[in-house]
Amino acid sequence: MARVGVFVCFCGANIADFVDVPAVVEEAKRIREVKFAIHYKYMCSDPGQQQIRDAIVQHRLTSIVVAACSPRMHEKTFRKALSDAGMNPYLLEVANIREHSSWVHQKDKKAATEKAADLVRMAVAKSIANEQLHEISVPVTKRALVIGGGIAGIQAALDIADARIPVVLVEKSPSIGGKMAQLDETFPTLDCSQCILTPKMVDVASHPYIELIPYSEVIELDGFVGNYKAKIRKKASYVNFKTCTGCGACWQKCPVKVPNEYNMGLDKRKAIYTPFPQAVPNKPVIDATHCTMLLKGKCGICSKVCEKGSIDYTMKDEIIEREIGAVVVATGYDLWDPKPYEEYGVGRFKDIITSLEFERMVSANGPTNGVPVRPSDGKVPKNVVFIKCIGSRDEAKGIEYCSKICCMYTTKHTILLHHKVPGSHSYVFYMDIRAAGKGYEEFVKKAQVDTAATYLRGRVSKIYKKGDKLMVRGEDAQIGQVVEVEADMVVLATAVIPNKDNPDLARLLGVSYDKYGYMSEAHPKLRPVETAKAGIFLAGCTQAPKDIPDTVSQASACAAKVCGLFSGDTMKKDPMISTVNNEYCSGCQNCVKVCPYGAIVTEEVPMGHGSKEMRTVAKINEGVCQGCGSCVAICRSMAITLAGFTDPQIINEIVSI
Amino acid sequence: MEAAVNNQLVSIEKPEIVAPPDWQPVIIGILCNWCSYAGSDLTGTSRIQYPPNIRIIRVPCSSRVDPWFLIKSLQTTADGVLVSGCHPGDCHYISGNYYARRRFLVTKKLLHFTGFHENRIQFSWVSAAEGPKFAKVVAKVTEDIKKLGPLHLYKKENFEK
Amino acid sequence: MDYTNQIREIAARLFSENKIDVFVGYRMTGFDENQVPVLIRDPKEVPRLVFNDKSVFNLTNYLKHEHTRGKRVGLVVKGCDSRSLQLLLTESQVKRDRLYVVGIACEGVVDDAGQKYQNCQECVFPDAVVFDEMLGTPKGNGQYQVNADIRELASKDLVERRAYFEEVFENCIRCNACRHSCPMCYCAKCCIDQESSTLYNGANTTSAAFHALMTWSLHLAGRCVDCRNCEKACPSHLPLHLLHKWNEQVIYENFQEHLAGVHEGDRGAFYKYSLQDPDDFIM
Repeated sequence: MARVGVFVCFCGANIADFVDVPAVVEEAKRIREVKFAIHYKYMCSDPGQQQIRDAIVQHRLTSIVVAACSPRMHEKTFRKALSDAGMNPYLLEVANIREHSSWVHQKDKKAATEKAADLVRMAVAKSIANEQLHEISVPVTKRALVIGGGIAGIQAALDIADARIPVVLVEKSPSIGGKMAQLDETFPTLDCSQCILTPKMVDVASHPYIELIPYSEVIELDGFVGNYKAKIRKKASYVNFKTCTGCGACWQKCPVKVPNEYNMGLDKRKAIYTPFPQAVPNKPVIDATHCTMLLKGKCGICSKVCEKGSIDYTMKDEIIEREIGAVVVATGYDLWDPKPYEEYGVGRFKDIITSLEFERMVSANGPTNGVPVRPSDGKVPKNVVFIKCIGSRDEAKGIEYCSKICCMYTTKHTILLHHKVPGSHSYVFYMDIRAAGKGYEEFVKKAQVDTAATYLRGRVSKIYKKGDKLMVRGEDAQIGQVVEVEADMVVLATAVIPNKDNPDLARLLGVSYDKYGYMSEAHPKLRPVETAKAGIFLAGCTQAPKDIPDTVSQASACAAKVCGLFSGDTMKKDPMISTVNNEYCSGCQNCVKVCPYGAIVTEEVPMGHGSKEMRTVAKINEGVCQGCGSCVAICRSMAITLAGFTDPQIINEIVSI
Repeated sequence: MEAAVNNQLVSIEKPEIVAPPDWQPVIIGILCNWCSYAGSDLTGTSRIQYPPNIRIIRVPCSSRVDPWFLIKSLQTTADGVLVSGCHPGDCHYISGNYYARRRFLVTKKLLHFTGFHENRIQFSWVSAAEGPKFAKVVAKVTEDIKKLGPLHLYKKENFEK
Repeated sequence: MDYTNQIREIAARLFSENKIDVFVGYRMTGFDENQVPVLIRDPKEVPRLVFNDKSVFNLTNYLKHEHTRGKRVGLVVKGCDSRSLQLLLTESQVKRDRLYVVGIACEGVVDDAGQKYQNCQECVFPDAVVFDEMLGTPKGNGQYQVNADIRELASKDLVERRAYFEEVFENCIRCNACRHSCPMCYCAKCCIDQESSTLYNGANTTSAAFHALMTWSLHLAGRCVDCRNCEKACPSHLPLHLLHKWNEQVIYENFQEHLAGVHEGDRGAFYKYSLQDPDDFIM
């Protein structure tokens, strides 16, 4: 006979004001199995928990019901109280009488009390069917996978590796560095991006705990937290990295010219190339979509000039596997294509460029050696118009959110223009200046004074050509008039959008993503680094637009989470998983088909006791099972049980109302 | 193929038996832990009021809901059932709600065919952020069931509770 | 449709070549014009086998029988029977290499009055889909049509349907003959017989019958091949096909699924999903 103890919480006034708590206790006492029932002001406080502990011992209780706030809030607290009193913590049931009764039925105390009593009855009925459960220990593979080699991935990889945990860093392009490697100077301190980034890139390459796998993609992730298995496709580079010295003879002689992605297509690279001079690893790859040798079988110059014989035109994509325990996703961002702004003449007027193109122009290692020039005639522009919020905060044409970094980098651009082109003048069309961040507002204020840039609050309505100038017509909302600016060049601060591969990658990893394609964190405030899938963490613009300091902070936070996860040799896992009753299993294997985690396999068992003939039954890998219950509901012979949510528990709840 | 027969089923909206004046329906709400239960908690935290007739049962995922939970509910205690899970694509367990969606449709249609008003069992997708939506869904279900009156399953016998 | 001689020849050949241990076929009842299933283990008994348009039952039900389990079996299947065999193969209940299947290009079987059964009139897949040897000329697939009884019942209103089914459930005597005759009900222990399960309710009440039959029909949703063994076995003559045909029709129309057991490896509608499944019934 079950002996249930019921503990009803006032939650100060939160419950007591709208539910007649003593009446709920009286109602609970009328249940046959309830041997003890009390109420207390704050059940979660230490004296409250002490009452539970005392009652367990004094009244020899076999299960406990706490009627209080949501189990999502304090289930763990009360479970701990049970185990402190020597009772199995999974004999606890929480009746949620705060979120589900007192807070939502504040106008009807009688109904709220009745409902609370019902919820207690249901919890009591369920708890009677509760079983003792024990946490499962799962071994952990102490190796982390970092996807993406931008500043987020680099920082996460370095921090994890510094804790002497092996890291596999997978980068899609031939070199790590990401978007930050394309920047000239960084706000708000104007230090050179290359100067602060390249040492970290070199650290990654030389770190004994980091395995850098460039020019590769993750194509499969199996398993579960602590025990993932990743398949990585190494794209064919056609260059043997082991023998290549990176001398550069091949790309100097290569006759094929291709628009250079690193410089936003403003100049050309060769078909065999390293993305930029400081690339890590500094080994070239052959672009198979342009190399004439690979396409038509004619050329072969790079192979001829290579003294080491490192060129191998027969190389194929290679698939490698790595066992890992945790994943950091740092896939970064792309920039929004401003084509929908037809009224600006995007695409028609060559002298309208995007901010990243401008960034490349003013960069010392850029295509124009650090001087901005007009793409139309190569002249240095004097009057430059910067337009912010291109695509951002624009529900009609772009996306609803603020891209967060454009205000700051546009300010930086006005300074760079001021520095690089004497006598130049910047005009900035803006909606708001959002400069929240350490030193940001000061930076903007100082820049406005130093550069004497003209800030015009309002949207640009039209850009048209007059001679070789661009006429920018917009509204200055502060004087309430239409203004026209004669510009040599227009720079559009285009919105930050998630990496276009994000949704595919998210599906592959099994994490959720939002309507824009950013991967979703487990909780927007309290768990901004984790995803809902255990062991997968997010760093940088994979999760939302952010600047470099925020990205680096989040990457380090990921590293801390990974190190925490790997702090022991085994991991504790919730025991609420499925098990198969062999006696009832008929081996139809529908559960194998339905399980989203591939946690179910089959095994052969004797037909009967001592029988030699074998039959097939399902077997659940307790390390892999996440406890969703899909298999339980489709098992017709009810051979599968999900601990914590068994059929008797749920049916007890249904029939006890 | 012929026109869909299942869309031609006739429902009538009159109470099956006259309800006593103080009658209040009992509605069982089966909610998935990760989206809808969290959403219902948010309804509470936001103090959004809804009718007190629903009794909530927590399950890990809508795919845990076996159709016979619904049948058993109607057979024993409930006048109506609401099952709620994560929006398609948002399932915490990747694909659970897609399997559940198929079973729900077939169960609902089967019960409708055998003479239960289609509003007796209802389904919703409520995310963890949709506190107001949960309140709206509960209000609608409660109102629907109140219109239908008490469910007396096979009145000729008094089945054990 | 009479393949008695061919089937006797095949059975005799299989026994003489030592390819099978047991042959499952039909024999005459001995007291009327009807037939019953027979398990032939002795080659001398082969002449008892018959097959014509009175060979009604779905013999795949006997694959779960202890006399055939683990043995090499010869078997006669009509179109509908072969679909349940296909499902049994997909659900790993029988091993294909232990079976010798005589498929029939079926022309429909008849009742006592010589009238073709309703499911034969509406049959979509008359030809066996799994076979080692085919008897008769395949006719090709028919057009799916909504069952005539379903159409009639669906046109009634809710209260009438409720009253109709109340009578059905009231007349159920919970003998479980439907389950025993169903080839797809092979569970080691049926859920409604498990004492530990709260489904267990031996009471012979309308409500218990409702619960048991509804659960049963949902377990067969997407798997029922409309052989109507259950209906023929039912001592109360309940229209059990209504539940199955209704589910089949709902699945066919809403998920664009094939009928049960038509394709190898197809487990039925509940064991897969499509992102395009109807969502409009969900708030």
